[in-house]
Amino acid sequence: MARVIVPVGPQHPALKEPVNFRIIAEGETIVGLELDVSYNHRGIEKAAEQRDFTRVVPLLERICGICSHSHGTAFVKGIEEIMAIAVPPRAEYIRTIIAELERIHSHLLWLGVAAHEIGWNTLFMWTWRDREAVQDILEEISGNRVNYGMNIVGGVRRDITPELNKAALDRLPALEAQIAGYVELLKKQETVLLRFQGVGRLTREQALTYGTVGPTARSSGVEYDIRRDDPYCAYAEVPWDVVTDTHGDVYGKTIVRIGELRESVRIVRYCLEHLPEGDITVKAPRNAPTGHALSRYEAPRGELSHYIRTNGTDKADRLDVRTPTLANWTSVAASLVNQNLADIPVIIAAIDPCLSCTSRLTVLNPQRTSSTEMTWEDLRRRARELNRERERC
Amino acid sequence: MSLLGDLISNLFRKPGTVLFPAENLPVPECFRGRIRITEDKCIGCSRCALVCPSQCILMVPDQKEIEVKGRKITRKKRPRVKVLRCIRCGLCEDACPSEAIHLTREFSVSGTVCETEEM
Repeated sequence: MARVIVPVGPQHPALKEPVNFRIIAEGETIVGLELDVSYNHRGIEKAAEQRDFTRVVPLLERICGICSHSHGTAFVKGIEEIMAIAVPPRAEYIRTIIAELERIHSHLLWLGVAAHEIGWNTLFMWTWRDREAVQDILEEISGNRVNYGMNIVGGVRRDITPELNKAALDRLPALEAQIAGYVELLKKQETVLLRFQGVGRLTREQALTYGTVGPTARSSGVEYDIRRDDPYCAYAEVPWDVVTDTHGDVYGKTIVRIGELRESVRIVRYCLEHLPEGDITVKAPRNAPTGHALSRYEAPRGELSHYIRTNGTDKADRLDVRTPTLANWTSVAASLVNQNLADIPVIIAAIDPCLSCTSRLTVLNPQRTSSTEMTWEDLRRRARELNRERERC
Repeated sequence: MSLLGDLISNLFRKPGTVLFPAENLPVPECFRGRIRITEDKCIGCSRCALVCPSQCILMVPDQKEIEVKGRKITRKKRPRVKVLRCIRCGLCEDACPSEAIHLTREFSVSGTVCETEEM
């Protein structure tokens, strides 16, 4: 059968963010995918090098609206490591609470989007309604529904008072009941089973080969979670379990995310009940010593890493952000093969892509009239040239 | 979790929406609303302008005598805020030594020009 290339995007009614797919299809079956994700380069890494450690945190929170606390925490965690300052336990617990609330609202949002992609908008309405409860807790604690502005180098900026603690704990049972409802729903709802089971399967070997992270990897049976493998904040002290599954398809990814919702509620409850007394911040020095740190963080979508290099001033010398979507993108091309054209939206949505966070590099010509991206060969050539330059020095 | 159950219970519930602007939804105590400056308290130290990530605070010349903790001083500058550029992070509030600048609970600020200046 003749092969047809179906171009989708970068501007397309079905896409929420700009991305270009060239889907190679034989009839209704997909045989390959070419991706072009770099349409939304914002230069945040460069902008971050111009701001001191206080002013850079609100900027980094805006790398992603959904994972705003993740980026802020990953950065301050790295800087605190370079400065060798110990954050008070109360601040660590508050960071954990916000992180897990963020995970709950992100996973509920994802579940709604996935339901929308399969045309079942009732579930979309249900999950987004329940998400409001989480947003309300976040708003009561931080004053914002997104971009919480809680982090600062040396601790957190806002405390959880006993009244806020009680209000948050009171909201959790209703949320837990709704999550239990989703678990039941997933077992028997025919729409979900028909559209999720066996769709976009990724084997354990493929998940490891393509370097997937987060729920995408865990749904293929890869037991890998930064919160357990490289604990930060208060995770080492909190009882919780890593959720994995062996399905590898969209159904498996849904099971993992719903399982994580339950674990996150468990973590939030434990942290709220065992919130240590004490200060919420320590005074951090203005300048960081020369050094570098790789700060890893389990964002809702997977492992997020910030590589930070400092040069003795109050600004980062270099910041490199690797978002989880970048790690998961290549696995989409593998999981789309031999699937039906109609399943493209849900397979792509299954990794919970965040495109603006992913766009990293754009090369402008000197007249700024056109822009290109660097190929793998270009990058290798540049790396070789750079090494030679260094050797000559 | 069933459609029918939701449908029946919703018949006996109030609507989730309110008639804005006649009614407002309650905002929490620590809500990050628009900035307000108490001009009599400002000592013109510029710390808010230095710490602002979106550079929405500009210090303008303004000579005025003010009283701080029983002492009279003459300030030389005062902040002007581009309210629509403000991201409401509250760093200025944390940095202010005289509690002159603070986030209010007003969430509704509208305008057409991002550079609009307002005290």
